[in-house]
Amino acid sequence: MATPVAQEQRTLGLTEPGRPPLRAPRTSLKLRNALIGWTFILPNFLGFAVLTLTPVITLFYISLTSWNIFGAAQWVGLDNFARLIGDKSFHTALGNTFYYAVVHIPVTIVVSLGLALLLNQKLRGAAFFRTVAFFPYITSIVAVAVVWNMLFSPEYGPINQFLSLLVEGDLPGWTVSKDWAMPAVIIVGTWKDMGYYMLLFLAGLQTVPGELHEAARIDGANTWQRFWNVTLPCLRPTMFFVTVMVTIQSFKVFDLILVMTDGGPGQATLVLSQYIYQKGFEQFEFGYASAVAVVLFLICILVTVVQFLYNKRKEA
Amino acid sequence: MNRKIMSGVGLAAVASLALTGCGGQDEPAAVDGPVTLTLAGWDFASTPEFQTLADAYHEANPDVTVELKEYPAGDDYDTALTADLAAGAAPDVFIVKNLKNYVTFTEGGTLLDISDVAAELDPATGGLAPMEVDGATYAVPYRQDSWLLYYNKELFEKAGVDLPDGSWTWDDYAEAAAELTEGIGEKQVTGTYLHSWQSTVQGFALAQSGAPLDGGDFSFLAPYYERALAMQDEGSQPSYATVTTNELAYQAQFGTQKAAMLPMGSWYIGTLVAEQESGAADTFEWGIAPIPQADESTTGTDATPVTFGDPTTMGINSGIDESKIETAKDFLAFAAGPEGAAALAGIGITPALIDDAVADTVFGLDGVPQDDLSRFAYTTHETLPENPVGPTTAAIQTILGEAHSAIMSESTPVDEALAEAEERVVNEVG
Repeated sequence: MATPVAQEQRTLGLTEPGRPPLRAPRTSLKLRNALIGWTFILPNFLGFAVLTLTPVITLFYISLTSWNIFGAAQWVGLDNFARLIGDKSFHTALGNTFYYAVVHIPVTIVVSLGLALLLNQKLRGAAFFRTVAFFPYITSIVAVAVVWNMLFSPEYGPINQFLSLLVEGDLPGWTVSKDWAMPAVIIVGTWKDMGYYMLLFLAGLQTVPGELHEAARIDGANTWQRFWNVTLPCLRPTMFFVTVMVTIQSFKVFDLILVMTDGGPGQATLVLSQYIYQKGFEQFEFGYASAVAVVLFLICILVTVVQFLYNKRKEA
Repeated sequence: MNRKIMSGVGLAAVASLALTGCGGQDEPAAVDGPVTLTLAGWDFASTPEFQTLADAYHEANPDVTVELKEYPAGDDYDTALTADLAAGAAPDVFIVKNLKNYVTFTEGGTLLDISDVAAELDPATGGLAPMEVDGATYAVPYRQDSWLLYYNKELFEKAGVDLPDGSWTWDDYAEAAAELTEGIGEKQVTGTYLHSWQSTVQGFALAQSGAPLDGGDFSFLAPYYERALAMQDEGSQPSYATVTTNELAYQAQFGTQKAAMLPMGSWYIGTLVAEQESGAADTFEWGIAPIPQADESTTGTDATPVTFGDPTTMGINSGIDESKIETAKDFLAFAAGPEGAAALAGIGITPALIDDAVADTVFGLDGVPQDDLSRFAYTTHETLPENPVGPTTAAIQTILGEAHSAIMSESTPVDEALAEAEERVVNEVG
């Protein structure tokens, strides 16, 4: 390809005769293309490098020290991680994080997929209901927490007043009960997130070819069979993306818990990211907090890698 | 590359020197000529105390200007200030807002030893003694709120219950709350209101029992929790569940006459006066009484009631320019001394040093109750810190905070929750 270009250049008198102009333009063109490419991603990469990559790398170092933010960090090796093994609060936080994730991930996926299927119909006012479902996602988390806390109020809240019509006996104490605080938080978390994932599923549903449904219908497949054998397989890329996102988000849950229950009552809803905040910013044990953060990082990356491998196997 | 950075730093340094008008040749500790001190504070719009102190000091020392640097309010103040301290960018003088972080600041070497300033202060300055760490003082209190009992005289009269007379123990208080609730007889009005903070139970228990926070034994909290639970079960006060889920505000509960009594810090005097004036609170006659006591040995107006309250203190950044140290120390002595106290009292803030002039100023403000008991309650008390200075205080308070929500939400029985907290202290704090 370079030869005709060089030929042309020579005939046009662009290059001096007698010099072999073959390699130089090619490499410089390549370099120029690469430079242009880098320039385009540079603003984003700079932000990422300064605000995310550097702190993450520093985090690994700090997790091996007993840094309390002032002065130099004292190297303590793996002491912080050894301490994690015997730290009951860490165990509680780890357990609660898994509790939240294990329930929140499937429930959110099922609810948002259900909403997407429902609102993908040719329904009067579908656009309105899509907006309604998306609204919680863009509402301020603090406002959401305050309102839901009032709804959940065991004595005066409308939820328990409604439940008292249906069931006899003790009603859940929701955010002020050790057993019900986590379900309450999961309900609000699902309600808040479902709109966003619904939107992703809606976009995914547009890519399901109509012909496949038609062919399946001619073959005598009922609605359930068509959903299971046509819609779901076609949604796999979307499903994969949603699963990865909702998983990471569930393990990192922080703000919702902080404003709704602040980890309470007791430690009933204490999660890892909140424990990191507590140890780091309230008690100034940044080394130890970093060690907890490293554990959270490893959990997220492990789960994501497993999902990637599973997706790859399915793809093949 | 390195040389470039170095020359850049040099340039910046020269530029900043030129800008601030400082020459490197000036002899240190020179106080002649104008000096500018910087002071860290938060939320200046609603917290005028910093500007008040700065102005008062400037008036007394026209050569010195105190420049304020605003930080975010709430817990973010500590976070933002800590970041600045770690980066060496914090102001010359800063407020140690939360006593539980004082040790972190001193151990981090961010505070200058100002024992000489502390030694010259009036020993009656509230909260001064507990600031001493290993024989040295690194911050001095300029403001100290103490917890008092606010009561609504009109609701007491309506219920036909005798007004507090300074002789109350907590049992008398619980009894009065029950009588008030019944006597007032309105559905949404309770005898008293206990806010959701852990200090509303633990602060009193710690101060009045005399038990150490880091002694590893939390049984001193048990009677205080038993009483608080009994009171919320009886309906003498809104339950913890209602307070937290409905985000009740103590200002609204007492200010709009939903509660006849309220244990609260002395900062609420200024708030209540302002809210009654603006109409945010109802207009009614109220008073202040000493906080109820553990037993009769500290009750009555001839004794000194024991209550709690953390001082708000001020320290000097150890990274301060050497030539400014003397000025900064002088400013601290001013702020924590009688002149600073007078200036603070003028805007309704309780200074650490409460003398007669301060009491006259506070009780001279419009809307502040004029009875003798209110004045006694405001001026006479032994106020112990909620967060005794110590390396384990912050961690223990987190654990006790979680125990508080477990107990008050009635998720966990008192003994079980306290035993768990003791176990956690051994396990996590050591």
